[in-house]
Amino acid sequence: MLLLDIKNLTVEIDTSTGWVKALDKVSLHLKKGEISALVGESGSGKSLIVRTIVGAIPDRWRITADRMTWKGQDLLSMSAQQRRKIIRNEMSVVFQNANHSLDPTASLGQQLRESVPANQLEEVSFWQRKALRTDIIVKYLHKVGIKDHQQCMRAYPHQVPDDICQKVMLAMALVSKPELLIADDPTMGMEITSKVQILRLLTKLNQTQNLSILFIGHDLSAIANMATHMTVLYSGQTVESGKIGWLHKRPLHPYTKALLDSAPSFRKDLAPKSTLSSLDGTIPTLQHLPIGCRLGPRCPRAQKECVKTPKMRHISSHFYSCHFPLNRGGK
Amino acid sequence: MMSYLLRRLNLLVITAFIVTVASFALVYLFPGDPLINLTGIVPANSEAYAQLQQEYAFDKNLFMQYVHYIQEIYQGNWGLSISSHNSVLDEILLFLPATLELSVYALVLSTVIGIPLGFWAGLRYQRPVDYGILSASLLGYSLPVFWLGLILILFFSLNLGWLPMSGRISLLYDIPHYSGFILLDILHSGLAESQAAMQDAVNHLILPTLSITIVTSSIVIRITRRSVTEVMESDYIKAATARGLSRGQILWRHGLRNTLLPILPQLVLQFTALLTNAMIVEVIFSWPGIGNWLLQAIYQQDFPAIRGGMLAVSAVVIIFTLSMDVLLRLINPLKDRDVHGTI
Repeated sequence: MLLLDIKNLTVEIDTSTGWVKALDKVSLHLKKGEISALVGESGSGKSLIVRTIVGAIPDRWRITADRMTWKGQDLLSMSAQQRRKIIRNEMSVVFQNANHSLDPTASLGQQLRESVPANQLEEVSFWQRKALRTDIIVKYLHKVGIKDHQQCMRAYPHQVPDDICQKVMLAMALVSKPELLIADDPTMGMEITSKVQILRLLTKLNQTQNLSILFIGHDLSAIANMATHMTVLYSGQTVESGKIGWLHKRPLHPYTKALLDSAPSFRKDLAPKSTLSSLDGTIPTLQHLPIGCRLGPRCPRAQKECVKTPKMRHISSHFYSCHFPLNRGGK
Repeated sequence: MMSYLLRRLNLLVITAFIVTVASFALVYLFPGDPLINLTGIVPANSEAYAQLQQEYAFDKNLFMQYVHYIQEIYQGNWGLSISSHNSVLDEILLFLPATLELSVYALVLSTVIGIPLGFWAGLRYQRPVDYGILSASLLGYSLPVFWLGLILILFFSLNLGWLPMSGRISLLYDIPHYSGFILLDILHSGLAESQAAMQDAVNHLILPTLSITIVTSSIVIRITRRSVTEVMESDYIKAATARGLSRGQILWRHGLRNTLLPILPQLVLQFTALLTNAMIVEVIFSWPGIGNWLLQAIYQQDFPAIRGGMLAVSAVVIIFTLSMDVLLRLINPLKDRDVHGTI
């Protein structure tokens, strides 16, 4: 069953120069128990998708979508209260920049306690609830690899290092026992041992508790190990999505190929001081989006037709949106 | 915390030093004999003058004069008023509480009105409610306080006759001086007619307080509104939304504290402007406070009184600002955040 199904999601933002499509017809879907990855450069709209799913964007932005459903229920048309209930009980989000996503004036313990949902406390009487809350969060703090839980709970966000903040965010997300975890770069800036620990924890939760994960990040090797599906985003457009093995083996979109090539290689035969491969230029700003395929100006294969937005095409379940795909034999 | 306290104390000392130097300089800058400007005593003959000179170290150099001046200030000898021949300090202590009373009520009322309205506007950012409140606050902010006071008198006292137009309390009531705060004094006096006196005093308070409050609360509204919109845009509010908390929970648990912490110091700063407004309003409403008194002193060229009044008002402002600074620091959980450099 499809847990999350998003089809042609468009988010428009009002800037000083008029309405800009920050997300342009993005599609994304996730089956129960699946780990799906969303990759793209910074500024490609990955975090915006996350915020749109959980409804944490300003009211004045325009959101349109052919379909945006959670277990068959339409997220866009349901009441705010219903949506909040789903978000509270069934989804959890770990945001990028954990230290900005925590309330700077509340201690970590307060914020952790707040995220324990009421339905886990129903079996005990109200005077025991506080102790139970503490027990639950201590358990989760240990799970994410924080040993000194007392010190951590007493501290304010500015008093602990960033990776502790990230771990606390993860603990807060997991404590409500969600069905879907949306992890927006949860291991950003962590040292390698904590990183491995977190990724292992996520994989384990996926296997033992059937937790679905939407994993957002840059670390392609970590993603390749964990995820089964991958969606590649460029400048607010989906460029390619499909099974991760296929994307790795036979990328159809030039951008996917460039992204895969840009990962540092550790081959033995690599010449010393050879440059990393990368596309020329940078991702365009929202005010200066090119028309048509937004990769156009940077694309090594761009031709005249690229000023029209390519339609989403597919080979079985491998979707791509490009007029001149790679690896297509005769074409 | 200790180093913070020391820094504040240092600031207090330096500011106090500058204020006393300025007030001492006034002795020479005012027209007339510096010694008379300082003491307020007009000596009858040259012997008395020489004795006074010796007493106040005026036969020594400027530095010694200043040191002596500080000693006199410290001992409570602020000179005599030229017009009334009373001790300046005693007069100040008599009039200053009336000003403080007015300012405190106005400050409390401004925050009570301004903060909720600012929140309302901030939460309805760029919607009709926001525009309405913002325009009203712009209007209130632009009105000169003396004009506003006059209009209020014209409307509520003269046209409608609802409220008294001047003074602190009707002459019918004789309230013994106790703290200088009229409402406290009435409570303390235990007079038979204290109920009626209280009513009368409150009636007298309404218009002056209102004219200060309108100006100050419109600033409070603007400060609060900006802080609210900033906080509501921040990542942790979005994260809280994403955790499925309701709008009320978000506002109460995360919004309120984060909004108020940065604006409280700014509200404290408004106290200075408020005190100035209070002193102007006093003149219009014949409120027996330090502003009115100081203005009379200026009219009568009562130099010792002007100097003393300036010193007293500056001291009130400095002490209030610094003590609130320290207090806010104590309750702020982020107090140690910026002690060390961040990247």
